[in-house]
Amino acid sequence: MTASVGKRVPRNEDARLLTGRALFVDDVQLPGMLHAAFLRSDHAHGRLRAVDASTARGRPGVVAVFTADDLGDYWRPAPLLVPPPPVPGMVFNQCTQVPLARDKVRHVGEPIAMVVAENRYVAEDALADIVVDVDPLDAVVDLERALALGAARVHEHLDSNVAARVHQQRGDYAAARAAADVVITRRFWYDRGASAAIENRVVAATWDPRAEQLTIWDTTQAPIPIRNGLARMLGLAESQVQVIAPFVGGGFGPKIMMFYPEELLVPWAARRLGCAVKWTEDRHENFVATTQERGQLHDAEIAVTRDGRILGVRDVFLHDTGAYDPYGLTVPINSQCTLLGVYKVPAYDSTFTAVFTTKPIVTPVRGAGRQHGVFVMERLLDLAARELGLDRVEIRRRNLIPPDAFPYDQGIIFQDFTSLTYDSGDYAPALERAAELIGYEQFVREEQPRLRAEGKHVGLGIVNYVEGTGIGPYEGARVTVEPSGLVRVATGVGTQGQGHFTAFAQIVADVLAVEVAAVRVVTGDTREFHWGTGTFASRGAVVAGTACRAAAVAVRQKILDAGARRLNVAADTLELSNGRVFVTGRAGDPGVPYGELAVHANPLRGAVTAGVEPGLEATAYFGPDRGSTANGVHAMIVEVDRDTLLVRIARYVVVHDCGRLVNPTIVEGQIQGGVAHGIGNAFYEQLVFDEQGQLLTASLMDYLLPVATDVPDVEIVHRETPAPGNPAGLKGVGEAGCIATGAAFAQAIEDAFGGAVEIREIPLSPNRLFELLHAAAPPAPEVS
Amino acid sequence: MKPAPFEYFRPSTLDEALATMAAHAGEAKALAGGQSLVPAMNFRIAQPSVLVDLNGIPGLDGIESATGGLRIGALTRHRTLERSAEVREAAPLVADTMPLVAHVPIRTRGTLGGSLAHADPAAELPAVMLALDADIEVCSQSGQRTIPAGEFFTGLYATALAPDELITAVTIPRRNSAAWAVDEVARRHGDFALAGVASVVRLEITGAVAGARIALFGVHERAVLADAAAKAIVGQVPTAEAIEAAADTAASQDADPASDVHASSAFRRHLTRVLVRRVLTRAVARARGAE
Amino acid sequence: MILSGTFTFRGPRALVWQLLQDPEVLVKVMPGAQRLSRIADGRYQGVMKVGLGPVTAAEFALDVTLGDLAPPERFTMVIDSKGTLGFARGTANVALDEEGPDRTAMHYTSELQIGGRIASVGQRVVESAAKAMTARGLQALQQAIDDRLAPSAGSTSS
Repeated sequence: MTASVGKRVPRNEDARLLTGRALFVDDVQLPGMLHAAFLRSDHAHGRLRAVDASTARGRPGVVAVFTADDLGDYWRPAPLLVPPPPVPGMVFNQCTQVPLARDKVRHVGEPIAMVVAENRYVAEDALADIVVDVDPLDAVVDLERALALGAARVHEHLDSNVAARVHQQRGDYAAARAAADVVITRRFWYDRGASAAIENRVVAATWDPRAEQLTIWDTTQAPIPIRNGLARMLGLAESQVQVIAPFVGGGFGPKIMMFYPEELLVPWAARRLGCAVKWTEDRHENFVATTQERGQLHDAEIAVTRDGRILGVRDVFLHDTGAYDPYGLTVPINSQCTLLGVYKVPAYDSTFTAVFTTKPIVTPVRGAGRQHGVFVMERLLDLAARELGLDRVEIRRRNLIPPDAFPYDQGIIFQDFTSLTYDSGDYAPALERAAELIGYEQFVREEQPRLRAEGKHVGLGIVNYVEGTGIGPYEGARVTVEPSGLVRVATGVGTQGQGHFTAFAQIVADVLAVEVAAVRVVTGDTREFHWGTGTFASRGAVVAGTACRAAAVAVRQKILDAGARRLNVAADTLELSNGRVFVTGRAGDPGVPYGELAVHANPLRGAVTAGVEPGLEATAYFGPDRGSTANGVHAMIVEVDRDTLLVRIARYVVVHDCGRLVNPTIVEGQIQGGVAHGIGNAFYEQLVFDEQGQLLTASLMDYLLPVATDVPDVEIVHRETPAPGNPAGLKGVGEAGCIATGAAFAQAIEDAFGGAVEIREIPLSPNRLFELLHAAAPPAPEVS
Repeated sequence: MKPAPFEYFRPSTLDEALATMAAHAGEAKALAGGQSLVPAMNFRIAQPSVLVDLNGIPGLDGIESATGGLRIGALTRHRTLERSAEVREAAPLVADTMPLVAHVPIRTRGTLGGSLAHADPAAELPAVMLALDADIEVCSQSGQRTIPAGEFFTGLYATALAPDELITAVTIPRRNSAAWAVDEVARRHGDFALAGVASVVRLEITGAVAGARIALFGVHERAVLADAAAKAIVGQVPTAEAIEAAADTAASQDADPASDVHASSAFRRHLTRVLVRRVLTRAVARARGAE
Repeated sequence: MILSGTFTFRGPRALVWQLLQDPEVLVKVMPGAQRLSRIADGRYQGVMKVGLGPVTAAEFALDVTLGDLAPPERFTMVIDSKGTLGFARGTANVALDEEGPDRTAMHYTSELQIGGRIASVGQRVVESAAKAMTARGLQALQQAIDDRLAPSAGSTSS
C-alpha cells in the first residue's frame, strides 16, 4: 500500500458538508426548545442604575427574563483562562468578564439581560420592553489618553487603566544604539479586526432530569475545558456534563475564548427552566459579543550598521485588551516574540503596556498578535534599507539566522511559558525562492521603471515571518479497530474546517495500512474523548496528530500480537496491508482481516491471556515540551489606480515551511484562506469605534470582507524542514497565511508610490491613501 | 435580527393594493424585491406595521415600446432589464448600469420601482433615470399621475411619492444621437458606490455639446443632476480641457458629499472629478462614433 | 458628530426667539415630534418618532434642557434622547443675529453623540440624516413664522 501522508487525499468530510448532512449547532432542534436573546449595552461606559424587566416578563410567549440579580451565587467573574507567562517584574491585573452586567457596563454589546421565549422573534420583541437606566461615563477609547492622568477608569478598583506591563530584554540595546551607524525610529499603528467566521456562535443546552445529564452543543474550539469549567460552576460532576462541538463553521480564535456570558447562561437557564434552550448569535451581535483583536501602538527603533546588519531593536508598545482580560497576555507576548522573526537580533529591548478600554474583549484571532511584530520589524528593515541605499531583499539576507544555528534560543519568554526557542528552520533558501518566483530582480530593474514611465503605480512587497506552532500542553487520541474492520479515531480537539477528519485519518491509515476512507475520526465531543485542551495556536495537526499516530502505533502492535496468536507464528514474521495481517512472503495468503482479530480479542466466554487488553484499541498522549517554528516568505505585486486609489493585486506568492505535510491540499487551503484573511485585514476590514466607544461598522455592509474577486490565486511553494520534536516532523500552518500580509501590503504600496508616502499603519483603504498622499505633512497614524 | 411583528397583505390586483395602501397610509410599506426593505426590517430599523406584498399582482412588470419611449413596469426585476435585448437597444445606459447594481442573486429579486421608491443616495438607478429624463408613473386610489425624474427625488430617502402611492411604470424617452456612459467607484464589486456618475450627452454637427445630463450618485443626499457642470460644458467643444473644467465644477459645486467611515467628503469630491472626467470622455467618444 | 450651520429666517429676531421657546411650536417643527411639554422652567420632555426612508417610527423619549439664556441673542440646549434603536445626546449652541427688522440669522453648532443600533448600522447616513432633519425643522419653523406674521392672509399648511 502506498502511504497517504503527503498526498492530496480528497477530504472525508466534504460529501456531508456539501450535501447539508453535517450537523451545525443551529441545526439542533429539541422538543419544547426555547430561544434566548440578550439585551446588550448601547453605552460603552456607564453606571448601570436599574434594569426593569417587568413588562418584558409579561409579554405573551416570554418564559423568563434574567438579570444579574436573578443569578444569585452563579454570578461571578469568569475564570482567567491563560495566566501571564512568568516574566520577571511583570505587572498583571486580572479583570474577567461577568455573565450579566451589574453596577457598570464596560463596552457596547456587554450583556445586561437574557430573555428566554418561545421563539427568537418574541424574544427580540421582549428586548425592546426592557427599560435600562444608565448614567453614561466617559468612554475610554484612545490608548494614550487611556493612560493619561484623569482618564476615566474602566475598573475602578485599579488606580489606572493598566492591565499589564511586561518588559523583556536580551543583550544591551543602549550599547547597540551607540555603536550604530543608522538608527530608524518610527511610530506604527496596527489595527486588526473581527474574525468574521461564516458561522456565528451558537449554544444549545438540555438537562435530562432522569439521567441527570446536561448536554451542551457549543461552537467552541475547546469542548473539554468548557465541560470541565461548566461542571464546576454548575455544581455537577464532569461525567454529568457533555459538550459537543459538531461541525463548526470557522473558529479562528474567538471560539476558543471560553466562558462567554452566553456559554455560562444558556446551560444554567436550561437547568433552571427544565427546558432545552438555544441561543444563536446573529451577525450584528457578533461584532460586539464575540471577541476580536484590536490595536497596538508601537514606538519602535532599529539600530543598524552601515552595511545593514541589525545591532539591536527597541520597541515600546501599547496593546488594547478591551474591557476585560480573560485571555491573559497571549496576544501581546506573541507580538513581542514574533517581532524577532527570522533575524539575528543581538540586542532586544521590548516593553508593552496592555490597556483596558471600553471596547469588546480582545483575545487571539488568527495570527494572535504575530502580525503586529512582523509589521514593525519588516517596516523598520524597509526604512533602514531606504536610508542606507540598500536593496530590501539584501538587507534581509544579511540578517537571517543561519541554518546551523538551531535550536536557536532567542532568550525571552514565549506564550507557552518556556523560553522562545526556534526548533528548526532554513530561512535563506525560502527568501531566494520567493524572490525568484515573484521575479524580484526583473521587476525592480525593468518592469517597474517601464510601467512607471507609462504612469502606472506598481509596487512589490516581500517579507519574512516566523510562526511558533504546535505548542503544548498536550492532546490525546484513542484508536479502535471495530469488528467491521472500520478504524475509529477519537481526539479531544475540535474541528472548524481545517480537515482534521482527513488529516488524522491519513496519519492513522498509514500506520495501520488501511484506506483513508476506512478511518472515521471524531473530534470535539466529550462523550468520545475528554482529555485535552483544544484547537488553537496552529497545533491541531502537530499535537493531536502526533497523539493519533502514537495511539495507532500501539494498535498496530496489538494487531500484530493478535495476528501472531491467531496464526500461531511469531509477530515479527507478520506484515499489515489493506486491513489484513499476512505472513511475510506467503504468496496467495488471504490473510486475516483486522475486524476478525478484533472480535477474537473480545470473547464472550473463555479465558483471556493475563496482561492483554480486550479489543484492538489504544489511547496515547503527546505533550511537546516546546513548539515547532514554521516560517515563510510572502511576496506580492500590486497596482494602484492613481485616480481612484483602488488596489489590484496582480500576484501573490507564498513560500512557506511547515515541516512535513500531511495533506498538501488542506495546507494550501489554509494558506489561501489565511491570505484572504490577511488581505481583508490589510485593505478592507476595519472596526471603527468613535470617541464614545460606539462601533460604527457593525454589519457586513460596513465591515468589508474581501470577496472572491478581491483575492488572487496564491502561488504556493512548500518547503519542508522537519520539526525534530515530533516523529512525523510536523509544524502547524493554520495562521501562516495572514501573518505577513499587512507587512507585504505596506511595502508594496509604499513601493508603488515610489516613496511619496510612508506607510506606518494597517489597515489601509483608498480613502486613507488619499489622506496620506494629500497631507501637507505626513499625518500621524490613525489611532482609534 | 428578526423583524418586529407586522400585518401582511398580498393583494392580487393593483386596485386592491392601492386600497390597502390608502387604508393604512403612513403605516404601510410596499414590498417589491425586498432587497433593501427586508434587511432594514431584520435590523428593526424599519418597523412597518403593515406590509403590502406586490409580488402577486399581474401586469406590473414587463418591458414594452410605447409612444413616449420604452415603458418598463415597476415590478420588472433588475435581472430582466440586464438581459433584455430591447433595453440594450433602446436604453443602453440602463443595460450598461445593471451589472454595477449589487450582485446577481440580488438582481433576480430587486425591482426598478423598488429602487426608485427607496431612493438610496448611492443607488445607480435613480441617477440613471435622471440622466435619461425618465417619467415615473405613479398611482393611488384617487388616480394616476406622471412625475418627471427631475422632480421625483426630493431629499435623503425622500421622493415625491405620497404615503398611499405606488410606482407603476417608468417610461424612458427614446433619444437619437445621444451617447451615454456610466461609472462608479466602489470598494468591492457590488457595494454601494462611494461616488458614481451616469451621463447622456448630445453633440451638435459642429462638434459642440448640444446637451449634457450628468447625474451624480453617492455624493449628495440624493441622486442629483450636475447642473453647474452641464452649464459649463454645453455649447463648448468637449476638449480634454473643457471636460476637466466641467469635472472640476461638478466636484466643487454640484456634489455635496457627506463623510462616513468609507470615504471623507474630500475624497468623494475627488472621485466625482475623476468619474465625471472619465464618463464625459467616454460619452463624447461614443457620440463621435469612436466606440 | 458635529452639526453646524446658519439659517436665515424671514422674520424679526424677537419672534424667532419667542417661537424657539414655545413647546407648542417646537412640537410642530421638530421632525417627528409627537409630544413636547414644559415640565419645569427651561426643561422639556416629549416623544419623537423619526421617519426617514426605511427607518419608520423609531421612537425616542426626548429630554431638552435650555441654559445660558441671553434673550433674544443666544442659548444652549442640552439634548438627551433615547429609544430602543439607540440614543442621541449632545449640546447645541444657538445664536440669533438681527440682520434687519425682518431678517434673523440663526447660527447653530451642535455636538451630538449617537449610539446604539442607529449608530452601528446607520453610520452611512447618520450625518446626512441629521442634516436633512435639521433642514426640515428649520423650514417648518420658517413656516410657523410665516403663519404668525400673516395669519389673516390664510396660512398655507406645509
